[in-house]
Amino acid sequence: MKQNDVIVIGGGLAGLFAAITAAKRGRRVLIVTKGVGAIAIGGGSIDMLGYDQAGAPVRNPREALAALGQDHPYSILGQQKVEQAMQEFIALCAAEGYPYMGNLQQNQWIPTALGRVKPTCLTPLTMNAASLKAATEVTVVEFEGLKDYCGKVIVEGLMQCPGYQKKYSVVSVRTDINDGRDLTALDVARWLDSESGQAACFTQIAHCVAPNSVILLPPVLGTQPDYSLLEKIEQATQCKAIETVGLPPAVTGYRLRRMLVNCLSKLNVKLIEQANVLRATLENGRCSGIVTGNLDRERTYRANSFILATGGFFGGGLQAGAGQATEVVFDLPVPAPADPGAWSNESLFFSGSQPFAKFGVQVDARLRPVDAIGQLLLENVFIAGKTLAGYDYCFEKSGNGVALATAYQAGCEA
Amino acid sequence: MEKTTAVIIGGGATGVGILRDLSMRGVAAILLEQRDLAYGASSRFHGLLHSGGRYAVKDPEAARECAVENAVLRKIGRHCVEPTTGYFVRLPEDDPAYESKWVAACQTAGIPVEKVSLDEAHRLEPHLTERAEAVYRVPDAAIDGFRLCRQNVLSAKQFGGRMLNYTEVIGIEQQNNQVVAVKIRNMISGETGMIECDIVVNAAGSWVGQVAELAGVKINVTPDRGTLIAFNHRFTDRIINRLRPPANADIFVPHGSVTLLGTTSSPAQRPDDFTPTTAEVLALIEDGKPLFEELPQYRLLRAYTGTRPLYCADPTAASREISRNFVILDHAGEGLKGFVSIVGGKLTTYRLMAEKITDVICAKLAVRAACRTAEEPMVADIDPALMQQAKQFFPASGVELAASRLGPDFAETVERIKNNPLKKELVCECELVTLAEVETVAHDTTTFTMSDIRRRTRMGMGTCQGTYCGLRGLGMMVDNNLAKGAMTENLLREFLESRWNGIRPILWGHQIREVELTRGIYGAGLNIDGAVPDETE
Repeated sequence: MKQNDVIVIGGGLAGLFAAITAAKRGRRVLIVTKGVGAIAIGGGSIDMLGYDQAGAPVRNPREALAALGQDHPYSILGQQKVEQAMQEFIALCAAEGYPYMGNLQQNQWIPTALGRVKPTCLTPLTMNAASLKAATEVTVVEFEGLKDYCGKVIVEGLMQCPGYQKKYSVVSVRTDINDGRDLTALDVARWLDSESGQAACFTQIAHCVAPNSVILLPPVLGTQPDYSLLEKIEQATQCKAIETVGLPPAVTGYRLRRMLVNCLSKLNVKLIEQANVLRATLENGRCSGIVTGNLDRERTYRANSFILATGGFFGGGLQAGAGQATEVVFDLPVPAPADPGAWSNESLFFSGSQPFAKFGVQVDARLRPVDAIGQLLLENVFIAGKTLAGYDYCFEKSGNGVALATAYQAGCEA
Repeated sequence: MEKTTAVIIGGGATGVGILRDLSMRGVAAILLEQRDLAYGASSRFHGLLHSGGRYAVKDPEAARECAVENAVLRKIGRHCVEPTTGYFVRLPEDDPAYESKWVAACQTAGIPVEKVSLDEAHRLEPHLTERAEAVYRVPDAAIDGFRLCRQNVLSAKQFGGRMLNYTEVIGIEQQNNQVVAVKIRNMISGETGMIECDIVVNAAGSWVGQVAELAGVKINVTPDRGTLIAFNHRFTDRIINRLRPPANADIFVPHGSVTLLGTTSSPAQRPDDFTPTTAEVLALIEDGKPLFEELPQYRLLRAYTGTRPLYCADPTAASREISRNFVILDHAGEGLKGFVSIVGGKLTTYRLMAEKITDVICAKLAVRAACRTAEEPMVADIDPALMQQAKQFFPASGVELAASRLGPDFAETVERIKNNPLKKELVCECELVTLAEVETVAHDTTTFTMSDIRRRTRMGMGTCQGTYCGLRGLGMMVDNNLAKGAMTENLLREFLESRWNGIRPILWGHQIREVELTRGIYGAGLNIDGAVPDETE
């Protein structure tokens, strides 16, 4: 059996970035993962901190970190570590030929398929929305049959956002995808991977837009982590093109994932997919191995240290019963009120952060699990991403940011 | 000013039944509903068309009425009823003496009851507990309360009946002790108005006391909460009742792709005390477990709460007891002419209740036309040629579903797809609802919100609970110029938050995961919730 230094459990953004971080530091790393995590849901922009705990928009995320409570993962890491993580990510993207833009001192506001704008920190160039704010004329491009993306919803919504009252028009592009299924953004992106798709699409758009205006698109500019399609569409239309945050499948997330997976393969990190981790072997407060099994036989994987990045309730790292929550691989304690009424607020979206969203495993400064009184539970297990307690990423818009920052720390520690 | 003969207050089964009956007898009538059809107990129940078995021992009169009406509704409401049949199941802990009493009572009430061998019961219902000691088959059925109300209105419309939803009654005008008009307010626009009339029919269900108060009359009703849960699967193909004196959580009803379990009973704060609690959900699962032992492992979809009006007769009021099942109050006895109320009853007997009170109204108006609601189907069957044509547009199992849901609107829906094949795309994959269907319903003049569309089409009622169809439904509204400006966001918010009300009490297992998906998409991704500052840089 090949000897691993580090095993990462989970293949979402946190797991992949933790693996890269550890591998770059000379560790022999193995990733075992069940699926792709929430990366296909949230997309490729890196939300670091969009809103403070009172729900006020954050202008400078770097500064706003200081005001977070001590249980927040960012506070556990400290500002310096968070910055290092982000810089490492930015450098990685650049090295992989898929540079991200933005900085930690200023949030960007990017448009969403609901016709709202949201604060985020780093984006791929296809989501660079700086030109939207300055534009006077905006064309929203939708695709016939792509039911998750309605141009007029975006127009109606943006007209309600301060500073976004512009001259909007909607163009509907006809695709020749005809496989009898309803379309998703991923289908359209694959169509645009082809030269015939590009020609058909860009001609239709160029026909309807005024040069030097701005085009809003669903996330469809190809499936590859590069900007060739962005360049082509901007050249064909003489306009700035911006991809909008949409419904899953989030193609921008797939691109980010693909870039990270490419990087991992260069680092000789093996990725075992569809691996169901059944249990861990624990000895003297350490983990010595994990056991996976699907329908066939069980397999044991051993390593010196482990990074747990299995996600929260969505990713499957946490599970809940009525009034109790558990962590699935190591059965680590997940503090939660016994009264289910205290888990959530009356409104799903409009009464602040949700208590249940902050449930998770509590950790020490090195991101190792601790119990209710702060005692270390496992010496060589490090936790990254949504398995951690202390933050509601949907409310504060911090999902990918916390994932990267904690993955970096875990990757350095492991 | 608007003028009519009769104004009916309340768009539940009873109200719409009265609207249909009056319209068919040629009496001009307008029904006023404060929200949407079936907003109250007519949708917030277990969706069971009783065979009468449940009441056979305790209330033979009600049992007989149920038995008769059950047969009537299968005929006139074919598209609202799924003739599942039902089992009554006795467990070892249930009194065997009750079993023989019950069988005899069913026979007396005219309920066809047939003993089923345990082998057969387990073969047909494999999830049913092995502990069952006796099983009987009765003609219970599943009934869709939303559709029942809507199809009554569609039928009434053909005879000139009208329905105004989102219309609240804020006053009942009188002259010389005679009702002359109702004062109304549109809940959406806030506009007020008057409808002149000779008769006001108070069929407001749990709100019957409040409506009576507007007329200066007192009716003693107290609303009682009943909570139910919907499981994400159809784990029983028949209605399963516990063979014991009626109690909590002893009815399972399969409905489309889900199973409902109910109910609880506790005093309600208000008629619209509609927020279920986790304690109620856990109690339902605990009480329901003896019939289906694996119940705690089944995936929950949501919980919901309705209120039933409990009536305490006021001995001084002049009331006429038609049956122990429901009560008709003619307030002429209290000095107010032209005002009648109907209290209590069950959805299964709503048509009979409507017939009885319509008889009372017609007597006042000297209208002699006979009631025909038990003979004429509410909506005509779809032309087989149209069904055949529709099969090329709808997903395999979707044609029958859509045809039953839409009734007379089905032809328009098929036409939409014929004109633009893109409209066959599924807005709601969970419940197989096409864009064409959603558009047809959205254009109806009584459709205002996305929840209205949900009730008429089932969009958003399935596993994802509105997550995927939410944005798509909104897109359809905006594309059809049915939503504009700030209203667009509110439509989606209302749609998603109304789903949350039923998920919040069951926030564990798969549903907490589902909610995190919803929040991930609309909160983290689309930013439905975050403030946008005046200066975004």
